[in-house]
Amino acid sequence: MPTRLAALASVLAAAFALWPLFALDVAWPGTVRDYLEAKGTVESGAMNLVSAIYLGYRAYDTLGETVVLLVAVTGAIGMMAAGSALAPREAGGAPVEPARSPRREARSRQRTELIAALSGKLGAVILIFGLYVMLYGHVSPGGGFQGGVVVASGIVFLALGSHGAAPSPLVGARNLARIESAGFAILLVAACLGVASGKGFLAPPLPGGDPVSFIIVLNAVIGIKVGAGIGLLCVAMLTEEAA
Amino acid sequence: MGMTDLALAPAILPLVGAALALAGKTARPASARTLERLGAFVGLALPWLPLVLLAPSILQGGAVEGFVGGWAPSVGVAFRFDGMAWLVNLLGFAVAGPAWVHARGSGPRGSAFTALYLVQASALAATSMAADLFNLFVCLEVLGMASYVLVTESGKPGAYLASFSYLMVSAAAMVFFLLGVYGLYRLTGALEYGAVARGLSALPDSGGHAALASVAAIAAAIALRTAVMPLYGWLPEAHALAPHAVSAVLSGVLIKTPLFALTRILVLLPGGGETGAILGAAGAIAAPIGVVIALSQTDAKRLLAYHSISQIGYVVAAWGAGVALIAADPDGAGASAGAVLVAAAYLHALAHALFKGLLFLSVGTVTDVAAERDVYRLRGAGRALRRAGERLPVTTLAFAVGALSIMAIPPFNGYASKAALSAALKGRWQYWTLLAASVGTVASFIKLSLVFRRPKPAASTETFSEEAPPAVADTATEAPESGAEKVPISAKLATATLAAACLAGGLAAPRLYRVVATALGAAPGATDAWSAALYAPAELLKTAGLAAGGLALFALARTAPGKALASAIRNRPRGFHGLFLALCLGMAALTAWLIR
Repeated sequence: MPTRLAALASVLAAAFALWPLFALDVAWPGTVRDYLEAKGTVESGAMNLVSAIYLGYRAYDTLGETVVLLVAVTGAIGMMAAGSALAPREAGGAPVEPARSPRREARSRQRTELIAALSGKLGAVILIFGLYVMLYGHVSPGGGFQGGVVVASGIVFLALGSHGAAPSPLVGARNLARIESAGFAILLVAACLGVASGKGFLAPPLPGGDPVSFIIVLNAVIGIKVGAGIGLLCVAMLTEEAA
Repeated sequence: MGMTDLALAPAILPLVGAALALAGKTARPASARTLERLGAFVGLALPWLPLVLLAPSILQGGAVEGFVGGWAPSVGVAFRFDGMAWLVNLLGFAVAGPAWVHARGSGPRGSAFTALYLVQASALAATSMAADLFNLFVCLEVLGMASYVLVTESGKPGAYLASFSYLMVSAAAMVFFLLGVYGLYRLTGALEYGAVARGLSALPDSGGHAALASVAAIAAAIALRTAVMPLYGWLPEAHALAPHAVSAVLSGVLIKTPLFALTRILVLLPGGGETGAILGAAGAIAAPIGVVIALSQTDAKRLLAYHSISQIGYVVAAWGAGVALIAADPDGAGASAGAVLVAAAYLHALAHALFKGLLFLSVGTVTDVAAERDVYRLRGAGRALRRAGERLPVTTLAFAVGALSIMAIPPFNGYASKAALSAALKGRWQYWTLLAASVGTVASFIKLSLVFRRPKPAASTETFSEEAPPAVADTATEAPESGAEKVPISAKLATATLAAACLAGGLAAPRLYRVVATALGAAPGATDAWSAALYAPAELLKTAGLAAGGLALFALARTAPGKALASAIRNRPRGFHGLFLALCLGMAALTAWLIR
């Protein structure tokens, strides 16, 4: 009961404190909207203004969010590895063979040939769609993060489809970890190119070039990094094999 | 490379180092180690280069300002590398480097750990120079995310729960932070601090209640990340159960960075000065309460963690009073007086970063070697260290330096920084609460130092173990398995470096204080009177009085009623919902106070 009372009091206090924010009758300020309308497409070269914002004007924030995702994936995989190292000991007695664990058997019973055949074939299609979402982010809704998670789901399909047959190299945890770290390194190199060319950190580095090419490169690199990272996490959960 | 890139380098270089370390994750072991070391060098040693290059202009009161990527002010991400950013970077890299070296011996090791550690260092630097509300949110998120994971790296069972509670309460606070950002953006259409302030002053009534509620939400969220009383509940477990090196950085650096980053917001926005004053009052109250809780602990690292709550109270007390002065009179004499107060707060933050980092590392080494973390059961620590192959008592001496620093004994840095706080707060009520906390600090560290005493005969050892908590309550803090470890050379190197820094910080205090005050915008010569009176007989007499008081308090705590009280404080009920309630009530009270 004290927990519920505390919860109720918390909600009431937060509602009281934040109420002025939701009872506003000030007109929406239009500075940024007008600026983006007038110059957004020209300055960044991206038809999709969302891309122009998150990979152009506020690419520094996006770099931070990419790092958040990287840390989350690395941390989750580290915890899973530590957890699976602890689990057999916690059960007591003889260490349990991972392949024999009841969870593993239940999981393999859920996998049928039908799922394997279908998802294996679909995997490639989804990967291509993910690449499309990633590479066309500057003209249509989409971009690196969205395309990346589609790519990750393609990787999950491939992992489900590789049951029994020779698995795709994309499903190997080690390969995915390599792609992820390489993606992160390339992202930083791309961000630092502007320092070398004198335009400044995270600025489109090429003088006189179309700035949209920089957005396409960032979308592709972020997409590959996100796809490999989320895919790695899913594959690790599917196979209980940590990198 | 322009000044802009040079100023951003302390945030970018650790990220490059993290990418290098991460590349080692899938490489062969030999090259993985090389990449890890290279990454740490790039991320923790190279940032000193831009700091040194920038020092001449920044420390005279200059600043590097700009928009990342060179975009237009209304849409770009602003950053500001000023004196405060430089000083916070100094504090961060001074602790992060030695702590990483300590981790080479005491663990954790490996590519993933080093990569996460460097991400944390990068986020610290980025937070220190944020000048854009949303960018500050992103920086705090990166900082938090890296910390949650690093806490669990110790592998202790309780560490996961501590990290989870840290994550949940911190994420809840960041939701309020984001709502505050929404409020200010909704009112002004700007995110850069200066533009937000200009936008608000153009509005009728400066944005009214909505602006005050937004400032309150942002300040409450940062107060939680800083562990200002009463929003401290997540800290002790997380800091006590993290790996030693991570504890050192969390306690030494991580809780102060958001606080100093908040300064820039509060001195500009309406309600900022009053918010500073309230947080300062909370800090001044937290200092003695934190010490009392610390004095009642039995786990060595938890005792240190509660001292961090107390010590951050010292910092926040002076910082808040300073922010209130600057906000009230941004261009006049008030700004200079406020800058002196903030400089005193920073001086203590720096001193605390060094001596608390040193204490966490040396106590960590001692508890690892002795395989015991209970300060009542652990005796003969010096002998255990000798058994572990430490002929020259580096760890013992390092602990002594750390303990004398936090007890404010001359000539170490804690004495100078507490003297600076006393001088800056003289005549206010906060002076007296901090004085009371200093007495408790002495008592508490007399207690912790007893682990170096020779073990007593069996009969009296039993009286010690009587007051140990029941085994059930202590499972989370079980000592590591092997007791016969050698003291690694890296651990000695790290503690010796920090001990030297504590001594140097004390000896060079007058010069340091002058530089800090100038960098933060105080009038020249504002600290001269203090420097002259630093070792005056009256000050030394006061120190002796505090030490005697601490001894008396320690004796008092050893009596039966004292022990009963300590046990009651130690076993007081705590929980996540209490912490969340404190956050919501604190935020509501702050809003109500600002609106009234």
